[in-house]
Amino acid sequence: MAEHAILIVEDDSTVRELLKYRLGKHYDVFTATNGQAALDKIEDRIPDLIISDIMMPKMDGFALQSALQANKNTRVIPFIFLTARADEPARQEGARTGVDDYITKPFDMEQLLSRVERLLERVEMFQSQLDAKIGRDFSNRLLPDEGPSVEGYSFYFQSEAHEQGGGDLFDWTDTDGGSYFLTIGDVMGKGLRAKFYAYSFLSYVRGTLYTLLEESSSPASVMRNINDMLLDDEVLEDTFASFLLMHWSPSAHTLTYANAGHCRPILITPDGPEIVEHSDLILGLEADTSFTDVDLDLTPGTTLVAYTDGLMELPTPDGSMLGEEGVKEVAYEAYGADAPIDAFREAALDRSGYDSFQDDTLAVWLQRNAEDA
Amino acid sequence: MSFDVDSLSPDTVVVHMGEALDFRNADDFKDTFQTHVEDGTRNFILNFSETEVLDSTGLGSIFSLYREISPDDGKVAFADVSRPVQVVVQLTRTYKVFRQFPSVQAAEEALS
Repeated sequence: MAEHAILIVEDDSTVRELLKYRLGKHYDVFTATNGQAALDKIEDRIPDLIISDIMMPKMDGFALQSALQANKNTRVIPFIFLTARADEPARQEGARTGVDDYITKPFDMEQLLSRVERLLERVEMFQSQLDAKIGRDFSNRLLPDEGPSVEGYSFYFQSEAHEQGGGDLFDWTDTDGGSYFLTIGDVMGKGLRAKFYAYSFLSYVRGTLYTLLEESSSPASVMRNINDMLLDDEVLEDTFASFLLMHWSPSAHTLTYANAGHCRPILITPDGPEIVEHSDLILGLEADTSFTDVDLDLTPGTTLVAYTDGLMELPTPDGSMLGEEGVKEVAYEAYGADAPIDAFREAALDRSGYDSFQDDTLAVWLQRNAEDA
Repeated sequence: MSFDVDSLSPDTVVVHMGEALDFRNADDFKDTFQTHVEDGTRNFILNFSETEVLDSTGLGSIFSLYREISPDDGKVAFADVSRPVQVVVQLTRTYKVFRQFPSVQAAEEALS
């Protein structure tokens, strides 16, 4: 973690140097000798905290503090007044909006250090809570409320979002012809940035799908469009994503997919599980990548399980990860359960030794019911 | 933390990837290759012999490198790929773009 930067504004060189020396042991300290000089420094670099004297030549501490309050970029910087004017009028004037603490000289250095530490901690805690809230909000928007409901089929999905997780997404659309288009993706990166990109992406994919489906229901052709967009769009220039697009026709009992570097789904039949092998290059890397449509038959009792890498990267007690084979085994254990997606989740966690997932996970379970069911 | 880099020629460098390339140091890797790209380096041999962790953010940073140098016919080669890195490369099908070599030396010979 980067060191916090503290700006000290003080005209008395003895006090200034003392503060710089003591705070410099814990923080990245820079200094100014009056309010105007401080504003100049802040223009180049925004500190994490400001400690300022009140009585100074050119621009005093009050004027500095007012100027910072007037600017939205500097308004929230924690601000401590440090002054010899211990008299009541000054204290009252000092105790105004945006001033977090008011310490009179002579001051106890240990006390000042602990106040600085506490203030910085508070700001950091606030920031991480805000990130977590926005992160969860994005995650919720990256998922539908429920899956499609189709006679003869059972459809489940399960997702857990973590603020430290990435940009997992899942969406489905029904086409006019009674078939469905399913989108599962993972946008690379961690945290808010990945979630934000995943969100922009999903909006794009939704928009594109409606247009493209009028001409073709080929997942591979949609994939080519998404890849082109990633490579052409300047905002998304540094973004890469794995996608699994599936066109599912319940009446024909077929599923056509294109896979761009995404975790390979698992197909389970009464005969056992197998990995759905074919996949193509991840999106956002090469302009002329070719994508292939692959057809699967959904015979009675067949289940397709698709998931994101949070599940495959689930740590196991031996220090490795659940892995593709592990996911396959766990899916087969859950096959036939009354609530298979829950059984799948529990079986995966059993292998990890954890009570909950540490990363974003997403799983989709599409099952054609057995004929006698 | 920065990465150790050996210059083999004005065009080619070897970057030793260390134990992990993930969300914690992906930006450091970007800074490292950026310096060399600006100096005219076009071929990057990435030595993965010690790498235990490669996550999606880390892989994304390698993609950024590739996209920066590929318009100038630059190459990114993976050398001495450890098992955990192999898994990621298989999964994402990126072996189609990044050539793999059993050793740094083999990569050097192929690129020179």
